[in-house]
Amino acid sequence: MIGSKILLVDDEVIFTKNMQRLLDARGYRATAVNSGAEAIRCLENEDFDVVVLDLKMPGMDGLTTLKEIKKLGLFTQTLILTGHGSIDTALAAVKLGAYDYLTKPCEIDELTAKLEGAWDKKDDLHKKDIQEKVQRVIESPKDALRVFAR
Amino acid sequence: MAKQPLPVADQAPSTEEGQNRMEHYKRLFRRFIVLTLVCSVVPLLLVGWGMRTQYHRFAEDRVMAAFRNEVQHHRKVIELFFKENRSKLELMATSHNRQDLVRPGQLRLLFDRFNQEQWTLTDLGVIDARGNHLAYVGPYDLLDKNYREAHWFKMVMEKGIFISDMFMGFRREPHFIIAVRGQDAEGPWILRATVDTEAFRALVEHVMIGRTGEVFLVNKESVYQTTPRYSGRIMETASMSAGAVHPGIRVRQEAADAGFNGERPVRQIVSTAWLETPQWMLVVRQDLDEAFGAQKQVDFAVLVFLHVSAAAILVVTMLVTRYMLKLVKRRDEEAETLNRQLIQTSKMASIGELSVGVAHEINNPLAIISTERQLVMDALQRVGEMDADFKVQLEDSMNQVDVQIQRCKHITHNLLRFSRRTQSVIEPIDINAFISEVIELMAREAKSSGITFFERLSPDVPPIQSDLSQLQQVLLNLITNAIDAHENKQYGSIAVSTSYLESEGNVEIVVSDTGCGIPKSKLARVFDPFFTTKPMGRGTGLGLSICYSIVKRLGGRIEVASVANQGSDFTIRLPLRSPEATNGYGPDEEALEKAA
Repeated sequence: MIGSKILLVDDEVIFTKNMQRLLDARGYRATAVNSGAEAIRCLENEDFDVVVLDLKMPGMDGLTTLKEIKKLGLFTQTLILTGHGSIDTALAAVKLGAYDYLTKPCEIDELTAKLEGAWDKKDDLHKKDIQEKVQRVIESPKDALRVFAR
Repeated sequence: MAKQPLPVADQAPSTEEGQNRMEHYKRLFRRFIVLTLVCSVVPLLLVGWGMRTQYHRFAEDRVMAAFRNEVQHHRKVIELFFKENRSKLELMATSHNRQDLVRPGQLRLLFDRFNQEQWTLTDLGVIDARGNHLAYVGPYDLLDKNYREAHWFKMVMEKGIFISDMFMGFRREPHFIIAVRGQDAEGPWILRATVDTEAFRALVEHVMIGRTGEVFLVNKESVYQTTPRYSGRIMETASMSAGAVHPGIRVRQEAADAGFNGERPVRQIVSTAWLETPQWMLVVRQDLDEAFGAQKQVDFAVLVFLHVSAAAILVVTMLVTRYMLKLVKRRDEEAETLNRQLIQTSKMASIGELSVGVAHEINNPLAIISTERQLVMDALQRVGEMDADFKVQLEDSMNQVDVQIQRCKHITHNLLRFSRRTQSVIEPIDINAFISEVIELMAREAKSSGITFFERLSPDVPPIQSDLSQLQQVLLNLITNAIDAHENKQYGSIAVSTSYLESEGNVEIVVSDTGCGIPKSKLARVFDPFFTTKPMGRGTGLGLSICYSIVKRLGGRIEVASVANQGSDFTIRLPLRSPEATNGYGPDEEALEKAA
């Protein structure tokens, strides 16, 4: 989706800068950070559609960052993009809730295809959540105020 | 296809190593032998020789004692002879007077009576104080003989009794006499008896001591009083010197002039004892070889037994040592093989770890190169006026950059897969569940290529004990290959099915695709390392080789059936329990943590 907000998380500064430029050129709004801690701070303060996350980073690694992202309870989807390329880490990431997995180096088109899929999923989850909330309002008006107050 | 070098573990040691090892085994062999000699043969020989020496001394003492007893016995016999006959004559002389004895027939009577039991005397005579024969009984004509000047006459007149040495006398034959002095009113007189030489000599000369033994008598002048068996004749002077009269019995070893049968000089055991009266020396001697013959035989037997035992110990030791060295060599070779395999495994593990690091470190720069290439391509799109040829050339170059990036990516990915080969973590695996996970992972990629996945997973498939990570790698390789096989096709499908072959005790996984298939001519080589049907730069040829080696190591087998342009079926059969499971390879906690 054009205009989607993408958070790029990778300790390789040049890589994130280039990816940011490539994504911006394709209509995305990309933000680049270089550590897991920075990524969590960004996600706490801003709404992103998709996080593109490297697994191997100094300090907070990708899987730990992914766990922290899940704790935030956001609809934001995470794409794992890593040079490690091991199937077991990919499966571990998917089990932890990552949307998909890409190995470096990857084509920008390959990435954007996955980003679209991730955005669709985020959108679906968001819509489903709204529907559930509306349903609760319909079923229990007493809760309506609490929901709208939130 | 280039011939693959042997893995290091299977290489034979170098010639120099082999020579050094042979030298080592030779030294070990010599050491074992020397040790055995020192610990068993040498003590055996020492004990054996010690016992033999002790026995030798004991036997010698026994032989010497036997000789002493022999001499003792014979001396007693001879002395008894002299004592008996002397006593008889003394009795005759004291119980009869001269007048009685010279009466005709009386002397004969006494003579016969004397010889009644045993012939002892040759003759008997009565001699007066002037040396004249008064009466005589015997075979010789001696009545007219006078003995006044005879040595024996003087001695008997002086001492009262005299036993002479052997002498020839008037008879011209060796003989000796026993003379006793009688006394009556007329004065002294002599009763003289000639001892039967043969009778006396028989006492001595008939004693047989073995084959080489002899018994004889010599007087103080070393003149034979009896004829020895080998050494000389009666009345001859003996080669041995009688020496001084000694008390008791002497036994000694000495060299003889000639041994038995007059052969070369020998050593003899000689035993001597002096008679009291007459003063003759009794000699008993025997060749040492014969005297100690029995002892020497025993000695020889003991020595033979001792040395044969020592030789037997040595031979057995050599054989046992050789056998043990063979075992040691075999163990050393096995240990060396295991060691080489361990080194190889460690190397591979290190290479694996290195591969992971290298692959990761290369993928990141590759990713940057890829993004830079993409930025150049994007910039190229935005550029307005540009020389067409230059633009084409630039696009071509950027495309080539992309091709090489993909090539490097394949290499690093295969390197990463390779690094997983060295470790096995055996755990229970739900085959259907793991296949579903991998398919879920690959489904999106396949979908972008127009490929649909079909799962036909049998619920009867039991859990198996195997390596999950490596099985995932195999399935990933097969599915990746199946996706790549649809490269020139718009649509396709990949079906993964599982079933349980109860009769074989195996679980079967089949990955079927509708891709381009593999030509029949290349089917036999698909599992060969570095063999690929993909265009240059698109495949390293390691994928199926890795699958093959993983499946084999997990105790299974993998087969392929394919029809060109129709598709391929890869069939994997796995045992319920991997061989490495029976060797005790369990889940590695570190590996599990890393995977999580």
